[in-house]
Amino acid sequence: MKQDRDHSEQAGPPASSHNGNDEAQKGERAEATPAMRRRWRLTRRGFLIGLGAAGAGLAVGGYFGRPILHGIMAESMAEAEHAGSSFMQLPDEPPFWLEVLEDSRIRLSLTKVEMGQGVHTSIAQIAVEELGIRWDDLVVEQADTSSKLVDGFGTGGSFSVATSYGPLRRAAAGMRSLLQREAAVVLKRPEAALRVAGRGFAVADSPEIKADFYSLAGAVTSWDLPEEEALQLKATNEFTVVGQPVARIDIPDKVTGQAVYGYDMRVPNMLYGAVARPPTLEAKLVGASAGEAAVMEGVEEIVIDVENGFVGVAASSRSAAWSAVKAMETEWDEGHLWQQEEIEALIEPAGEGGITIQREGNTAGVLGRETAITATYRSPFAVQAPLEAPAALADVLDDQVTVWVSTQSHERAKGLIAEELGVEADTVRVVPTYLGGGFGAKLDTGVAVEAARLSKAAGAPVHVGWDRTEAMLHGYLRPPTKSVISGALDGNGRIVAMEHRQGSSDVAFSFMPEFMEVVLGADFGATVGARIDYDVPNRTVTAWRKTLPVWTGWWRGLGLFANTFAVESFVDELAAAAGADPLQFRLDHLPDSPAGGRKRAVLEAVAELSGWGTAPPESRARGVACFGSNTVVAQVAEVSVDEESGEITVHRVDCAVDCGLVVNPDGAKAQIEGNVMWGVGSTLIEQAYVKDGRLELSNFESYPLLTMRRAPDVRSVLVDTGIDTPYGMGEPPIGPVGAAIGNAFTAATGRRVRTLPMTPARVLDTLAGGGS
Amino acid sequence: MELHVNGKSYALEAPAEERLLWVLRDWLGLTGTKFGCGIGICGACTVHVNGAAVRSCLIPLAAVQGADIRTIEGLAETNGGGEIALHPVQQAFIDHQVPQCGWCMSGQIMQAASFLAQSPQPSEEEIVRAMSGNYCRCGCYVRIRQAIQQAAEMSGEKEAAT
Repeated sequence: MKQDRDHSEQAGPPASSHNGNDEAQKGERAEATPAMRRRWRLTRRGFLIGLGAAGAGLAVGGYFGRPILHGIMAESMAEAEHAGSSFMQLPDEPPFWLEVLEDSRIRLSLTKVEMGQGVHTSIAQIAVEELGIRWDDLVVEQADTSSKLVDGFGTGGSFSVATSYGPLRRAAAGMRSLLQREAAVVLKRPEAALRVAGRGFAVADSPEIKADFYSLAGAVTSWDLPEEEALQLKATNEFTVVGQPVARIDIPDKVTGQAVYGYDMRVPNMLYGAVARPPTLEAKLVGASAGEAAVMEGVEEIVIDVENGFVGVAASSRSAAWSAVKAMETEWDEGHLWQQEEIEALIEPAGEGGITIQREGNTAGVLGRETAITATYRSPFAVQAPLEAPAALADVLDDQVTVWVSTQSHERAKGLIAEELGVEADTVRVVPTYLGGGFGAKLDTGVAVEAARLSKAAGAPVHVGWDRTEAMLHGYLRPPTKSVISGALDGNGRIVAMEHRQGSSDVAFSFMPEFMEVVLGADFGATVGARIDYDVPNRTVTAWRKTLPVWTGWWRGLGLFANTFAVESFVDELAAAAGADPLQFRLDHLPDSPAGGRKRAVLEAVAELSGWGTAPPESRARGVACFGSNTVVAQVAEVSVDEESGEITVHRVDCAVDCGLVVNPDGAKAQIEGNVMWGVGSTLIEQAYVKDGRLELSNFESYPLLTMRRAPDVRSVLVDTGIDTPYGMGEPPIGPVGAAIGNAFTAATGRRVRTLPMTPARVLDTLAGGGS
Repeated sequence: MELHVNGKSYALEAPAEERLLWVLRDWLGLTGTKFGCGIGICGACTVHVNGAAVRSCLIPLAAVQGADIRTIEGLAETNGGGEIALHPVQQAFIDHQVPQCGWCMSGQIMQAASFLAQSPQPSEEEIVRAMSGNYCRCGCYVRIRQAIQQAAEMSGEKEAAT
């Protein structure tokens, strides 16, 4: 299969260069492919059907249905009698499209972006499966905003495969059915006598009698899609493509340097932009002048807009732009100079404003009566740090704006760019490129707006690529958290009551209209993983939303990592109090429900995989933790602790996952491996903090990432409990990592680290008996 | 300024202090070499200068005059018939389905290719040491290590066969 992307030809040197070299000068101004204007009608069954781009032939699109996020909002709004708000309505346009090309291959256009999660491949597998065609006869195309395919949600939340699966299967089966019906007419045979053969249909027992898809699609002008009930969907046990470890379609270009990302976008005569950044968290621009930048070589345009806090330059090379913006004179009102202690004091899960998100029984009463234990867990600010920093290329013309950007939400970028430029949204075309990592950070599209502003001012295409310091300081961070958990056991070692008081700053609420905060109550992003899913008769979970002077938001798994660290560490503390084996203790407290059964399956699978119950290798210890939503995860970490240096070594993480129907098992395992590395990095290394009014971050020397030296082995097993639909895989396995490592640390040392990250200093302090 | 990149020569009127990374990407259009940090920590910008893996974000143009520079775009060999033969490291990265987002992969592959040229039969520990200066934010470390082991074996077999 070929990836059909809008790769602009490489264009040459920076604008002011006089290089005549032919290699460097090849290529014309990237031509925007004409916007695909399609006409379609909505059928009764939620499909769209219409004419393909070629003007003839069949095309079928479909809706994802209401994404889960919208679902959550819709339910909450219904409760708050806000039902009917346009916020939750389905878009007018579909998020994917299938069409027959002139060579009878079939093109899948999709809105979901490829950021390393393999989503183009796995969604293609679903389409190929239900179309019944050969893998090489499907072309995958990244849709841009001009395609009229709309996915207002963007790419994230581990939703892409889960939400595409059903609608895409139905659309593909519908398309196949229509073509088959037409083939029956053309070939004068009953439909049942026909089979897909290559790029068309053929008579099963006379394969020389055949018709290709394109001629079939072009032969008729009106189509009547079958009723949904009449669609012949393949039985899942007949799948031959879904469920296979199909090789990723984006990988060949990624090992040869050919894949084009936002940072790589080039068009002739482009300039490079840079923007001045506030020096403190609360800084407001009060004055600016060009300073030495006015006379610097290569500077083409200087933009000063004090009122809106914007100071930027466009220059002939990136180095010139970065130097020039530093040479400008800017004056800032610094505001309050926050310190870390003040921030930490704010993240207190107490006082007014707590929202109870789970309550059963009489938790307070039981905890007041019984001998309760209480522990406090903390997690710090953390940075997503995708290795490709934010980047966009904008070409603002009088009547048309084109922006190429590395983004998880090109629809959002389109709206914000149109608003900034004061133009109609329809004149803005946003083309998502490959992403050099997203992890929630690239739901922010500020860099695209900056590029558009500078392009408009300069009258030339402008590329803005943030440097690493900008990427660390000027996006949003994972919020710091504090969880206070209490619990009590009965005489038989069973948990009778458990309370989780959770404090966090915003995750989802950073990006929502204020009325949503009122109707949703708690920030579902901050609280994911905070619930107590064990069978405990008296349980209460209350979340405190704390507003900080630091912008916090989306991060891989949202609050899942911090909350699972707290809850699953505490479950081990209860197991220790009960004198029970931690894994058996968990099994003994699973609810008697389908969810409990699935969690049992993964816990038992990881016990077997890790050799739980057998002696670990010398000087190592094991810890277990688990998490369950739609996707259920259990992990065992095997660690050793150097009590001299305080360094924890994570030798191996074993992971069992039930993510429902697996579309691409190798891709699923890659996601497990990546999530484990994220979890290990966050458990051992990653933290950011505030000092003197700013984040104490500049580059990887102040925020190092996990390297191969500290990367554990990862073994994984995908557990099938008979769920026949796929669930998310991009984030859930990050949940248990911190607790599994922490629980293994306790097994090794008898001590417990309750504050992340478990740095050598903190480990030594804990081993010396210090509070942690 | 004159540069020799992937067997071709380029004459440029670029400033002598401009970093090789930006010359490759913005002047020559060889965007396969990536920017990650600009201070030589992450390894995304790794290229070969006279066969040695270096961080192109730190190297001024003036320092590589006359040097033989190789980037990811020039790592595979093209035979007379125009067929492209991937470098064993590239092939192994495909076989093991290593890349996720891919942004660090040019640097990982260039680092590994240079390392294997010097240490054709590395131990696992040597691989880890050689590769621990290259960040992969997606966390593909297990597969990177396995792929380099395979590439070493492939090269060894090729060596034995000739």
